[in-house]
Amino acid sequence: MIANIAAYPTDPLAILGIWVALFLMLAIYSYPLYKENPVYRFAEHTFVATSLAIGIVVNLTSLRNSAITPLMGGNFLYLIPIILGFCMYFLLIPKQRWVSRYPIAILVGSSLGLGIASNPLPSIISQVISTITAPKAGTALWAWFPGSPTGDWFSFAFVAVGCICSMMYFLLTYEHTGAVKPVTIAGRYFIMLALGAYFGNTVLFRFSMLAERGQYILKVLGLVPI
Amino acid sequence: MSGQTIWDKLQQVDRRVFYWILFVSLTVPFLTPLGLPITVTPSTQAYYDGLKTIEAGEVVVLSINSGVSAWGDCLPAMVASVKQVHNQGGKLIVWSIGYNDCDITWTRIKTTLPEVFSTWVEGTDYVYFGYCPGQETNVALLRDDIKSVYTKDVRGVATGDLPLMKNINDASKIKFVMSSDTGDAQIYYIRQWKNGPVNYVKSGKPPLVAEMGIAMNKSGDMVFFLSGDEFGLVAGSRGAAELEALVGRKGDATITMDSISVSHVLLVLAIILANVGMFATRGKKK
Repeated sequence: MIANIAAYPTDPLAILGIWVALFLMLAIYSYPLYKENPVYRFAEHTFVATSLAIGIVVNLTSLRNSAITPLMGGNFLYLIPIILGFCMYFLLIPKQRWVSRYPIAILVGSSLGLGIASNPLPSIISQVISTITAPKAGTALWAWFPGSPTGDWFSFAFVAVGCICSMMYFLLTYEHTGAVKPVTIAGRYFIMLALGAYFGNTVLFRFSMLAERGQYILKVLGLVPI
Repeated sequence: MSGQTIWDKLQQVDRRVFYWILFVSLTVPFLTPLGLPITVTPSTQAYYDGLKTIEAGEVVVLSINSGVSAWGDCLPAMVASVKQVHNQGGKLIVWSIGYNDCDITWTRIKTTLPEVFSTWVEGTDYVYFGYCPGQETNVALLRDDIKSVYTKDVRGVATGDLPLMKNINDASKIKFVMSSDTGDAQIYYIRQWKNGPVNYVKSGKPPLVAEMGIAMNKSGDMVFFLSGDEFGLVAGSRGAAELEALVGRKGDATITMDSISVSHVLLVLAIILANVGMFATRGKKK
């Protein structure tokens, strides 16, 4: 039983909204499905303009809530980020562009500081531990084979061999000849396998987006429940 | 043009023909569902198991870091998660650190779950703060002082006046965060909340992190699930369909899976056909 069943909107504005959305969507799709045309360009420009408008409104609202309101309440420390924010506009004046480097430097510096301090644990240490930790004792031997109820040992061996071979591929301090050659070739195949998985997942995501839009057309036409 | 084989002719077919075939074949399963079975993967099961540990009154965060364009992958998982939080008697704080169109997403979640939002009271059972720029810096600040980031909710009610936020001003009072991602926001929470240096030495219990990511990022996100930095991972519409099955509320992801399966079959056939064509005509061109 599918739960997402709602009535088709009855409010004229809501109906107008979903039909305008459908028109703009089809206008954008007319580019790959037909060719570039004025309707596509109209939809493209509408999209850019509305995105910009939403962005400005949301960011100004956020600025008002997080900086202007406390400043008006007497917290004058908020003058500093506001002034730094305005410094970014010096990018538009070539001779005074150097002023904009200060807020950029502060942004980059604070992000780096946050990242460097907390990155090693999840991105390096946890990953190394996870890679070299063997599956828990008691896992059946037949779990070595893919498709079995638990492929823990197979995954462990696969990741271990793949990790070593892939790293060897990037070891460029000496020529890949002799005993090293088959390992680096294997490393190349492991990298290709990983990139293939990335590609497959990317295709899945893109198709998911496309399917959602296909479903939207049917919803607006009233062929499937909204 | 004489002497052309079927492979030569196929290679000259306009790519738009394939786009049309793809578009139509993606749409047909919505009209005539195939009802293909869905098995639950361990990462989704772990995510659901985490949701099941929410006790009545416990607070979790939904961080909307995915835009409207990713609804196909991200929205169904968010809907199922909110539903399960409601089923468990939990309370919800919602914000976005990544996308300024989160208001549309939140409105859609609310309209999709009338059975939840007809019983929940805004400000008491859930709070929606909207978007705030700042990315990881923002997440770090939210860890220690929520009220300094969000002075009021989207309705304009001061954060301190919201019943739900009376005793909550840092991450130590939050059970876990569910991050809906098209990018790296989940790692911000892992770095700044789960492994954050402040407060948790005292409380001894940092909030956990779970992710509802897009399928494209599954390979990159999976490492954080396998290393234990995320207690669960719902990857793409497939993961969302699994979550819907576990929650017991089948929605858009379940419906979409048939369409995606058909598209994959079509794509595999196209790849096979293209490769056969390439090998069949190789050497002829020169």
